[in-house]
Amino acid sequence: MRMIRPGHGRRFLWIMFLILGPSLIALAISMSVARPAVAAANPQPVREGPSSDVCLACHNQQAFQTQLQSGETMSIHIDRTTFDASVHNQHGVSCVGCHTDISNVPHAPGTAKNLREVAIQYSATCQKCHSEAADKAMHSVHQKVLDGGNTDAAVCSDCHDPHAQKPIAQMTKADFANTCARCHNTVFQIYKTSVHGAALIGAGNTDVASCVDCHGVHDIQDPTSAAFRNAIPQLCAKCHTNAAIMDKYGISTDVLNTYVADFHGTTVTLFESSTPDQPTNKPVCTDCHGVHDIVKVDDPQQGIAIKKNLLVKCQQCHPGVNENFPDAWLSHYIPSPDKAPLVYYVNLFYQVMIPSVIGGMLIFVISDIIRRLIDRRRKGAVHQ
Amino acid sequence: MTEKSPTYYERFSLTQRIEHVVMLSSFTTLAVTGLPQKYALNSVSQFIIRLLGGIDGTRNIHHVAAIVLILVSIYHILMLGYDLYVKRVRMSMLPTVQDGKNALQAFLYNLGFAKHRPQSGRFGFEEKAEYWALIWGTVVMAITGFFMWNPIATTQILPGQVIPAAKAAHGAEAVLAVLAILVWHFYGVHVKFFNKAMWTGKLSEEEMLHEHPLELADIKAGSAQLTVDPAQLKKRRRIYYPVAGVLAVILLLGVYAFATMETTAIVTVPLKNGGGAIYSPQTATPLPTHFPTHTPRPTDTATLTPAGATPEATVTLTPLTYAGFAGPLFQQKCAMCHGTTATAGLNLLTYASAMKGAKDGVVIVPGNPNGSKLVQIQSAGGHPGQLSSDELAQIIAWITSGALEK
Repeated sequence: MRMIRPGHGRRFLWIMFLILGPSLIALAISMSVARPAVAAANPQPVREGPSSDVCLACHNQQAFQTQLQSGETMSIHIDRTTFDASVHNQHGVSCVGCHTDISNVPHAPGTAKNLREVAIQYSATCQKCHSEAADKAMHSVHQKVLDGGNTDAAVCSDCHDPHAQKPIAQMTKADFANTCARCHNTVFQIYKTSVHGAALIGAGNTDVASCVDCHGVHDIQDPTSAAFRNAIPQLCAKCHTNAAIMDKYGISTDVLNTYVADFHGTTVTLFESSTPDQPTNKPVCTDCHGVHDIVKVDDPQQGIAIKKNLLVKCQQCHPGVNENFPDAWLSHYIPSPDKAPLVYYVNLFYQVMIPSVIGGMLIFVISDIIRRLIDRRRKGAVHQ
Repeated sequence: MTEKSPTYYERFSLTQRIEHVVMLSSFTTLAVTGLPQKYALNSVSQFIIRLLGGIDGTRNIHHVAAIVLILVSIYHILMLGYDLYVKRVRMSMLPTVQDGKNALQAFLYNLGFAKHRPQSGRFGFEEKAEYWALIWGTVVMAITGFFMWNPIATTQILPGQVIPAAKAAHGAEAVLAVLAILVWHFYGVHVKFFNKAMWTGKLSEEEMLHEHPLELADIKAGSAQLTVDPAQLKKRRRIYYPVAGVLAVILLLGVYAFATMETTAIVTVPLKNGGGAIYSPQTATPLPTHFPTHTPRPTDTATLTPAGATPEATVTLTPLTYAGFAGPLFQQKCAMCHGTTATAGLNLLTYASAMKGAKDGVVIVPGNPNGSKLVQIQSAGGHPGQLSSDELAQIIAWITSGALEK
């Protein structure tokens, strides 16, 4: 017995190790995974090195500039007042917090050959504090285009001037749209005249969709992809099924479920859920309503509540259809005696027909089952 | 125990049994591919659709099964015509008043208000109800299916609303049909009594007595089978075959048109952007770059002069004073930082402020260039706004000569 006992003890330890070991490892992993996420959420401002005053002593000069290898002149003037009001300065991020390559005077010449390279190189710096946004941006269409060699693609500083960026909370929806407009001006000019754009840019109405509401911010995806197109109904639905917004304008919030209930919408929904990357030839919201040029449905020129305008949209995919055809689409109405009476009464017919027929069958079948059980028992009783 | 082999009666011919199998396969396929389309948001539906190769695959299977069901229906019509016209069999499937009475009696018996179950002939009221329900269902499904399959052709004649109405009817009728099969058919031939006649083709005498007593009586009486004169049969066939042939061709052409009349949409809507050029900047470049002055950064070519370089080395026409030489040089080279900005407290723009020096002391000691911080820093090299060796030599000469203002 004595010889065996220590063995028992060792085995017990082994078993405990096998049980506890993996759970401890799992715990350690989960904790180590959780930590960077917290750090990313609260970037620590860089406070080391000389204060910004030292740099601004020179760089506050109006005409401060330098020449790059490409021959381009780069202003290295930083306006003190603007910088002081910037979100970076307010959070104690000094010049050297980002310009880590500058440690002595005179500064060593940079490796960037031209202005675009300067902007692109500095994106790596933003990542240090803004890892979450930078990670998203790494998977954006801008990054993909940039990787493909197109240096026009936006990098961090194109949207966020690091020396002047205001806190995001102080920015308006229109500011966001104007930021995108800096590079996407053609689209912006179209958007400005749309029902959304006119309300935002013209009237300052922030209920409407601005660029980022549909395209996102840092992880902007290619809007010409099949995946993006298949997701459009859900995208529009974010606002258009929100009664708090739509009620103000008398817009129906049934637009999504009526679309999904229709042949087109069912198909797109199925594509989105099963094969999101596969293109479907069924229309999504934008195929009839437009993309950046969306107008009110009762617009006399282009509004698709007007049948002849809708017919044009139908004919994009169904060439040669006549003026009866648009009525095959219920225009987001739920069938009622007023709107789509035929559909309403067909539904009503079956709402009565199905329960009565199946109910009648069930009553008969159940009565038959009970009768047969009774008969069988009686027969058994007779036999006994 | 003497084992007497039971007598069997043929109930369904082989072709009828095959017809049933084809019909039940197409019906089941239609239900399995159709109901998930009606309840497309349901997760089970989406699983089935994925299993069948996506919604397009599911629809293709549904369409093929629909054509099979229509073909088997056409076959049924032609065979029915043959039986009724050529063989002159009794129309035993026609509903009669007696069927209504039988149904009522069966129900009353179940409730205990009738003494006996009704007695069935070749087809009982249960079977007739199911047969005619199937006929009704197939007609509704074929018509509404045609509307949905060919919406463009349909709306050439009918209003557009017919299409969504057809979709509503097609889906609801499907639910009705499937439920009817599950409740009525399954109970009638699988649960109540497992009727194998549709597979074996026959029923035993005991089963006949139980299920179709009146038909059994007719058979025994010899009145079930009509004897037809072979010559007359031949004559009727000669009439029926061409008529049926023409009818078959017309119906088959109809089915072909049904399936191929139109492609409802173009193959794929081209993916497009929201209109216009994607990259169209408002300004030529997003960074401001227009400052037309010299570059203030020190150039690599700047050479350093060691302290104590001889002033004799340079010749200058301007007088060695602050106003004549040092002031303008400071203005040009140093004022960026040591001007109004007064970095480190040093402003070299006026003689007085230059001689006053920086926060931590004077930088120019008249007569003592080596003791002057300005010379020390510039001689060490690397200062922004670095003076050239000539310029530094002249500054040293100016300080040596007393650093005069004028």
